[in-house]
Amino acid sequence: MTSEQRPRLRRQWPLLPIALLLVFCFFLPMALMVVYSFWTTDNAFRIVPEWTLKNYQRFFTNETYLRTFGKTLLMAALVTIVGIGLAIPYAWFLVRYTSRRTQRILLLLTIVPFWTSYLLRVYAWQAILGARGLLNETLMGLGVISEPSRVLVYNNNSVFLVLLYVYFPFAALAIYASLEKFDFTLLRAAQDLGAPPWRAFMRILLPLIKPGIVTAGIFVFIPVLGEYLTPTLVGGTEGVLISNLIYNFFRGAQIPAGAAPAFLIAAFVTVLLIVFRRYLRLEDVVSRG
Amino acid sequence: MDMQLTRRRFLQASAGAGAAALMVGRMGSTAFAQSPAAAAEPGSLNFLTWSDHWNPDALAQIGTEQGIQVATSDLSDNSDGLAKLQAGNSGLDLVSGDALWVPAYDANGLVEPMDLSSLTVASELYPMARTFPFFTGANGYLAYPWGWSPIQIAYDPVEVTSGADSWQLLVDPKYAGRIVMENQPIDIMLFAGKAIAAVDPYNMTDEELARAKDWLTALKPNVLKLVAQNGEVRDALVDGSAWIGTSNLGMPDRVKDAGGPEIMAFVPKEGSVGFIDGEMAIKGAANLVRVAPYLEAAATAQWCAQNFLDWGRPLWNEKAYQLLVDMGQKERADRYLYNQPEVALQMTLKGPGGRVGDYLDTFNSVFGA
Repeated sequence: MTSEQRPRLRRQWPLLPIALLLVFCFFLPMALMVVYSFWTTDNAFRIVPEWTLKNYQRFFTNETYLRTFGKTLLMAALVTIVGIGLAIPYAWFLVRYTSRRTQRILLLLTIVPFWTSYLLRVYAWQAILGARGLLNETLMGLGVISEPSRVLVYNNNSVFLVLLYVYFPFAALAIYASLEKFDFTLLRAAQDLGAPPWRAFMRILLPLIKPGIVTAGIFVFIPVLGEYLTPTLVGGTEGVLISNLIYNFFRGAQIPAGAAPAFLIAAFVTVLLIVFRRYLRLEDVVSRG
Repeated sequence: MDMQLTRRRFLQASAGAGAAALMVGRMGSTAFAQSPAAAAEPGSLNFLTWSDHWNPDALAQIGTEQGIQVATSDLSDNSDGLAKLQAGNSGLDLVSGDALWVPAYDANGLVEPMDLSSLTVASELYPMARTFPFFTGANGYLAYPWGWSPIQIAYDPVEVTSGADSWQLLVDPKYAGRIVMENQPIDIMLFAGKAIAAVDPYNMTDEELARAKDWLTALKPNVLKLVAQNGEVRDALVDGSAWIGTSNLGMPDRVKDAGGPEIMAFVPKEGSVGFIDGEMAIKGAANLVRVAPYLEAAATAQWCAQNFLDWGRPLWNEKAYQLLVDMGQKERADRYLYNQPEVALQMTLKGPGGRVGDYLDTFNSVFGA
């Protein structure tokens, strides 16, 4: 080892804990999952190290799995697009039309739901949308409906609504961080040069806050891909997503059968992150610029 | 005194604390103390179970009197419990399981057998409950018998006016979105097996499996939701969002007690599956020493009678039946077969069967998108 390499190594050793964390909490479990996904289970629920492709075969030959995965992708895309679509005007409003103090209060209100558990928040939606929930009772009280509506919950719409609610703050914070650093005189300059507002928005603002939008997209899209709880609690039999099917294998003690689709989704997410890695800027979410 | 925390001192302190924590942890993992004379060692007990296996007042009393703080967590179904324990380091001490699933736990080396004769409370059990062949392991009894019930179909007679004698009720299109069932894929496959009159619902042939899938396909649009616990079936019948639910014995009274409508229930004419469940001590559990004192305190006639009044399905504690009679609850107890334990062995008992992977795949094929 040269004398120049030694100081460099000394500088890098604080990275050791995070490297160990990555190895033991990410790479190793992932590697185990990959190995399990090529094994099988016997009738006594023991994992048998017999190499097989049948767990992957099942995913690609049973159209329900592919269809459910496709539906999950669609749900994730819709939640992401609508979430970002709502987050942009919300962040715009915060940055342009409120004082610093009000901004802080509104941002605090945006993240307040994180102070309660995810489970409770989804249960709260059950209480809002359910047969005897707040919404049904109110509508019945107003005479709009005579009996509890069954379209409010236990379907794809309720899954979409609750996911949007749960992940909106991620989108809002990422876009707020981007917009807050944006130099709004650029928009005025564009309009001075004859650009109509929509063109200034499309050609100036959007490209410059693109990293924030991509960050928001990744922060919403990827967790929704793995969503299990929300479809379980408010999805009924219609709102099932791919994680619900994978979970059925795991809780049925059929770990190899569940590991294969779980790994496929993890691989898909990894590829997605690699593709978008140049836009993924954590500082857009955590810093105030 | 030098209060500065150097890196070396920090590491020494951490190592010392770690070793101490390890020793405290190991102290609890002595053998399953079964002697009734053994005083309960205060501490925690982690119990993975169904919501109808415990009573909050009982746990509070056990906490006060025995110093055992019982932390319960919800068990969704038998395979779920098995999967959790198989994964290792579950932190659990006691787990509930149904009939033929118990030998599956044992085959995986997960159960600490017990000697029933050393438990005072076991003398209150119906004699047959002490000799179930599926609870009998090579080294002792595998589970402390708790309750039993056939799976019934409960329904609101105002909304359901015909067909209330068969599994086919569940696939009647009139009841779209009006059925609530527990989210137990293997059990739902067994219901399908019964509905299509499969020769052996646990080991359906490919042809039977295909017919079971068709039956499930007809069932799916009728299912409002698959729920985690039986209490949610009751809630859905109470608030009227569901008219039909699969359940163990006692649902009509549970719904009525919760302020719901008049509910009726039947065992389908094609036959049903049923459970005989028990509590299993987990091999190598950290708090094994508290399992026996917990059972001694929680499985008494008093709490079993209370549990029957709360949930309405019979338990294996015979003395509790006498207590119920003395309390003027004979009619209710007899209506829910508390006095006919022999009926339990006439049921097709819940178990894993031989094609779990195929069953789950079939279930997923229908209940996926």
